Amino acid sequence: MELTWGLMIVIYLFTAGLSAGAMVTSNFAFLYGGQEFERVSRFGAYISPFPISLGLGVLLLDLGSPFNFYRLFLTLQVRSPMSYGSWAILFFTFLSVIYLYLWLPENYQVLGLRNPQTWKKRLAKFMPVLSVGVASYTGVLLNAAVRPLWTAPLLPVLFLVSALSTGVASVILIAALSPWQRARHRELHLLTKADAILIILECLIILTMIVMGRTNSLSVSSAFSNLLIGPFAWIFWLLIVGLGLIIPLALELMELKDKIPVKWALPVTISSSFLVLFGGFFVRFVITYAGQWSGWFN
Amino acid sequence: MAVRMGFVIITSRCIDCDACMVACRAENDVPLGNKRNWVKSSGVQGQFPNVKEIFQPGNCMHCEHPPCVKVCPTGASQKRVDGIVIVENSKCIGCKYCIVACPYDARFPNPVTGKADKCTFCWQRLEQGLEPACVQTCLGKSRQAGDLNDPNSIVSKLIAKYPTRQLLKQVGTGPNIYYIDEAVPEIPQGE
Amino acid sequence: MSKVYTWDQLFSRRQFIKGTVATAALGASATAGIGLLAPESSLGINDSPAQTPAKGVKHVTTICEQCVWRCGVVAKVENGVVKKLEGNPNHPNNLGKLCPRGNAGIETLYSPDRIKFPLIRAGARGSGLWRRTSWDEALSYTAEQMKKIKDNYGAKAMMFNSTDNLSQPFFEILLKAYGTPNYGTQRSLCFNAMTTGFLYTYGMPQPGTDYRNCKYIIFTGRNLAEGISNNETQEMIEMVARGAKVVVLDPRFSKTAAKATEWLPVRPGTDSAFFLGMINVIITEKLYNEPFINRYTQGFEDLVTEVKDYTPEWAEKKCEVAATTIRRIARDFAAAAPAAIAHPNWRTSNFTNSFQNERAIAVLNALIGNWAQPGGLIPDQEMSTAKLGVLSHPPFPPAQGMRLDGVPWQYPMVPLAYGVIQTMRDNILTGKPYEAKGWLISRQNPVLSIPERQKTINALMKLDFVAVIDIQASDTAYYADVILPESSYLERYDGLIPIGNKIFIRQPVIEPLYDTKSSLIIYKELAEKLGLREFLPYKDEVDLLSRQLKPFPVSLQDLQRAGHYEVKNFQEDHSKDFEFQTSSGKIEISSGIMVQMGKKAVPTWNEPPRPEEGQYYLLTGKTAQHSQMFTQNNRWLLEVFSVNRAWLHTSVAKKIGVKTDDDVVVESEVGKVSIKAYVTEGIRPDCIFMVGGFGHVSKGLKFAYGLGASDSALHKTVTDPISGGSSLSETFVTVRKA
Ligand SMILES: Nc1nc2c(c(=O)[nH]1)N[C@H]1C(S)=C(S)[C@@H](COP(=O)(O)OP(=O)(O)OC[C@H]3O[C@@H](n4cnc5c(=O)[nH]c(N)nc54)[C@H](O)[C@@H]3O)O[C@H]1N2
Ligand SMILES: Nc1nc2c(c(=O)[nH]1)N[C@H]1C(S)=C(S)[C@@H](COP(=O)(O)OP(=O)(O)OC[C@H]3O[C@@H](n4cnc5c(=O)[nH]c(N)nc54)[C@H](O)[C@@H]3O)O[C@H]1N2
Ligand code: SF4
Ligand code: SF4
Ligand code: SF4
Ligand code: SF4
Ligand code: SF4
Ligand SMILES: [Mo]
Repeated sequence: MELTWGLMIVIYLFTAGLSAGAMVTSNFAFLYGGQEFERVSRFGAYISPFPISLGLGVLLLDLGSPFNFYRLFLTLQVRSPMSYGSWAILFFTFLSVIYLYLWLPENYQVLGLRNPQTWKKRLAKFMPVLSVGVASYTGVLLNAAVRPLWTAPLLPVLFLVSALSTGVASVILIAALSPWQRARHRELHLLTKADAILIILECLIILTMIVMGRTNSLSVSSAFSNLLIGPFAWIFWLLIVGLGLIIPLALELMELKDKIPVKWALPVTISSSFLVLFGGFFVRFVITYAGQWSGWFN
Repeated sequence: MAVRMGFVIITSRCIDCDACMVACRAENDVPLGNKRNWVKSSGVQGQFPNVKEIFQPGNCMHCEHPPCVKVCPTGASQKRVDGIVIVENSKCIGCKYCIVACPYDARFPNPVTGKADKCTFCWQRLEQGLEPACVQTCLGKSRQAGDLNDPNSIVSKLIAKYPTRQLLKQVGTGPNIYYIDEAVPEIPQGE
Repeated sequence: MSKVYTWDQLFSRRQFIKGTVATAALGASATAGIGLLAPESSLGINDSPAQTPAKGVKHVTTICEQCVWRCGVVAKVENGVVKKLEGNPNHPNNLGKLCPRGNAGIETLYSPDRIKFPLIRAGARGSGLWRRTSWDEALSYTAEQMKKIKDNYGAKAMMFNSTDNLSQPFFEILLKAYGTPNYGTQRSLCFNAMTTGFLYTYGMPQPGTDYRNCKYIIFTGRNLAEGISNNETQEMIEMVARGAKVVVLDPRFSKTAAKATEWLPVRPGTDSAFFLGMINVIITEKLYNEPFINRYTQGFEDLVTEVKDYTPEWAEKKCEVAATTIRRIARDFAAAAPAAIAHPNWRTSNFTNSFQNERAIAVLNALIGNWAQPGGLIPDQEMSTAKLGVLSHPPFPPAQGMRLDGVPWQYPMVPLAYGVIQTMRDNILTGKPYEAKGWLISRQNPVLSIPERQKTINALMKLDFVAVIDIQASDTAYYADVILPESSYLERYDGLIPIGNKIFIRQPVIEPLYDTKSSLIIYKELAEKLGLREFLPYKDEVDLLSRQLKPFPVSLQDLQRAGHYEVKNFQEDHSKDFEFQTSSGKIEISSGIMVQMGKKAVPTWNEPPRPEEGQYYLLTGKTAQHSQMFTQNNRWLLEVFSVNRAWLHTSVAKKIGVKTDDDVVVESEVGKVSIKAYVTEGIRPDCIFMVGGFGHVSKGLKFAYGLGASDSALHKTVTDPISGGSSLSETFVTVRKA
């Protein structure tokens, strides 16, 4: 079986989720976190526009007729997730740049908006809606292409939760790496907690998907077999379940319970958040590849 | 009634010669390494010497509810009023969404044009009153094409007379290739 | 000193671009239109679907030559480029349809591996070094060498080889004018067993078969689904669809077997036991057509005596088809008479007993009296074929000397026109009865088609001079001194061909792309250089074809436009249907000639050799997607059949521990090849099967070079002493994991 969609699409799916997740993290931190979470909001805002821009660039490279790209925006095909998804991503990217701009230190805000705080608030209230759309859209995108593995109804939810989890992790990672954020703070603690919850949620969703898949038609159930015991099993068990879910979850739980010696704290934070991103990437990878591998039986 | 173009394929008449595949390549300039139609084999089944093998030709099913058309973000993939599913090249961006969305793997990314490519029912030939290339050359008269809504077409007459099956009906695409496995002694006259 | 090129350089981009520029120029002049290819020439077919030719589009009717079957083709040419080939609905050989190979003719025409100008060898033979030359030089050089050989060793030291094609009669004139007895055709590799078997029974080598009315047919290795004979393949499918009984004897589950009502995996080489068993049943149960036998046959009583012991139970032990099955088939077959046929087959040269097998088949047909009956055998149509005009030429010089191929001194029963090509090859090497010196080969690839590839290469290396006429660097051309490139069949004329009351034409659908010529012109110009001008006395192709058309009230232009000419008021002549050209004038159940030769006169059993423990029969055959040793370089066909594999029965594969697509080494007494395995339940456990024609050794075939493996590298040279047929299943091999 030839693969039509390759790494480029995986990157696109991953980065869209990552940006959306970082955006939501920033929005919530800003709306509900107050002064203490200022940095979290700021980092989220700083991260958000970049992955998705990279994703769009890579997607463009993957097109057979890249110079026809504009055709996407001459129309709205209401039944095509890619059509409304592209519009959503277009707006998201545009707004995330504005949002980032609003988070820049004031002396950089050369355009001098009259009421930056108000706009920030408005955007922070609106962006979660768009972000959830963008994050789950990637799942709907696959849903619509009737492949046995991709028909899983929970796919958008999985992608959404995974997006949030990677978004949070990216903020943790950047925060941990940034020179003025060495010590562990309450805000990071809370983020870690959120991430752990999201990982647990993700595990539950995956479990449910597998149960639903295995009890579905022969084609769907064999598509899931490919994941569990077939050619993709090692990616699924080793890279996703092991490195992407269990280990970071364990590390995060240990962090939360203060089981990590101080000198290990930073490396552990960095690795656990990195592993979450890593796992999130391979979730997209495995679903994209194994999904195309799967076909219907008569 | 509206025209609904479709195929009847009689597997019992196919010898797996692949003339249909070569004819399609010539007619439609299909680039090497890709194909718009195929002949699949069941493989040799059973145990020596009690074995059998069945050949099942195929191509785009020109589905009633084509997922490829549904997912296309630009409206390049279309179902024409006569039921033929085509790609309008000038609109296609080559995102390949339709290709992954086709449960029959009937499409491919054309490396020369950069567009999604697929069986066009040889509409350029239909316009000239000719049969599709694969149908025209078929040594077994296994491939037949025509208007499924016209009771006088060859395909309608065959469907009326013999039991048929469609591929992946359960997926809900409404495929417009009807397969006949029984022996068909005579191809009816039609159209 | 002119420049020396390797194949790669010869066909490098630079050279190729030069070629395409020339193409464009020629293409333009072609559309401007020499009268004969006027844009309006259209289909010339009344009952064909309406066509509204677009601007710059024309349709030219011609004849396919992707194999020897000669189907009618209508070529669609757009601005000088051939875009599509389609079957001519008015042609009896294909009824409007082309097989995969016919459809892929465009790639044969436009292949980058076409030879684009004459070449003379510029390094050691087989080194692949060449220099480009002019036609004048190439032909002068060839004629010079041929004259030298004739002067020094006599004309007999020069051999002429050609495989069946439309211009072959003119090749034959050339070789007879030159004066050599040594003429090699493909026939002994192909159907000698069948043609001699029927010749010595009915006095007719190739009777037809009335599929349309036939109710019961038995094929013996004849594999119409893969060894395609276009219209017959179509008729076979119709038979199956109609519910007629189709029995296939083949040790391998061929695609014909997949379609048949019954597949009998007979032990190789024992088909005649099956047929003798059937004959035994038909005689003991008196199921034969007594009046027919009394009136038209001779020797029935001898047959009764001979087959007494060939009971189905005896046959079962030999051929491994159950006695009950043989009995049932014999009864059903006789019950369906006369609409029943034991098919004469085609390349049924499998064992040294294949002649006896074909004789048994011929006699079985006679017993049920299906001759010239609906659903039975059809007498040769020669009487009912239009006769072309001929060119007169001086009498040929007498051919001096014995033939190298042993006909008739070693093979007294093989007709001269068939010959025994593998013996000819062997005698080049032995130098007996005399030394051969030169070889002119036209559209034949003996390096791959004769058993023991290495021997054939050695034979080529031994000669003083080898010239090859081909369209591509075949494996044989690769070892030549001169390559004379022919225009492809879509760019040239060949001799006209009458079929029944119709006369068909092969004509150029575009002007030649490169500096190539038709063989009609190559033969003629070579004759001129040899001082034999008066033997091929035509100005050009148009002149020749016009003269062939002389007897009919039609101009060549009209024929070209219509694609064929239908002879008016043509009467089929069946008056001689029952005049058998045998020594007795009857169907010879007991052959007079066999008696003369001191051999058993009625069909009889000859025990074939069997493989020893750990060895397997090596079977060969066709695939629907390729022609012989020729199309494996055609990329369109490689798309649908990319490589040959060795078929192994599941149990054998298990024993040696291989799966499908693992490499195995197959080894015989004479050679060894490495090839991918194809594991299947569709073959006898004591057999291995390979499609022939892969494993090319010519580096000038860029896409086919080294692809798959050649069974000719494994085949032993075994010849049936009666028919001269090359026994292609009599090689036993071992197989192991690579
Ligand atoms: N192992 C094995 N050996 C076999 C067989 C088998 O099944 N297996 N089959 C046997 C049979 S049945 C036969 S008939 C023989 C055939 O044996 P050959 O006649 O030796 O083989 P072909 O492949 O027909 O050779 C055709 C040659 O003509 C060239 N050619 C093609 N088109 C043209 C053209 O337009 N002009 C010119 N001048 N040349 C052209 C091709 O490039 C090729 O070199 O092989 C026999 N040998
Ligand atoms: N596509 C295609 N069509 C062709 C050709 C081609 O090259 N390609 N070539 C043309 C030519 S020149 C010819 S001669 C014909 C040949 O046409 P066929 O004679 O019908 O075809 P082959 O494939 O040579 O037949 C060989 C079969 O005989 C079986 N066989 C081997 N040994 C034995 C045995 O001892 N007993 C029995 N009963 N069977 C045995 C093999 O398994 C194989 O299936 O095809 C013609 N048509
Ligand atoms: S078979 Fe595939 S390409 Fe054809 S209409 Fe159906 S979904 Fe579309
Ligand atoms: S590849 Fe072209 S036809 Fe297919 S979905 Fe994308 S834009 Fe539409
Ligand atoms: S209808 Fe035309 S395009 Fe479609 S498979 Fe047949 S030949 Fe190809
Ligand atoms: S041309 Fe007809 S018989 Fe041959 S493979 Fe195609 S469908 Fe089958
Ligand atoms: S059988 Fe096929 S290759 Fe041979 S002449 Fe006919 S169309 Fe051409
Ligand atoms: Mo042959």
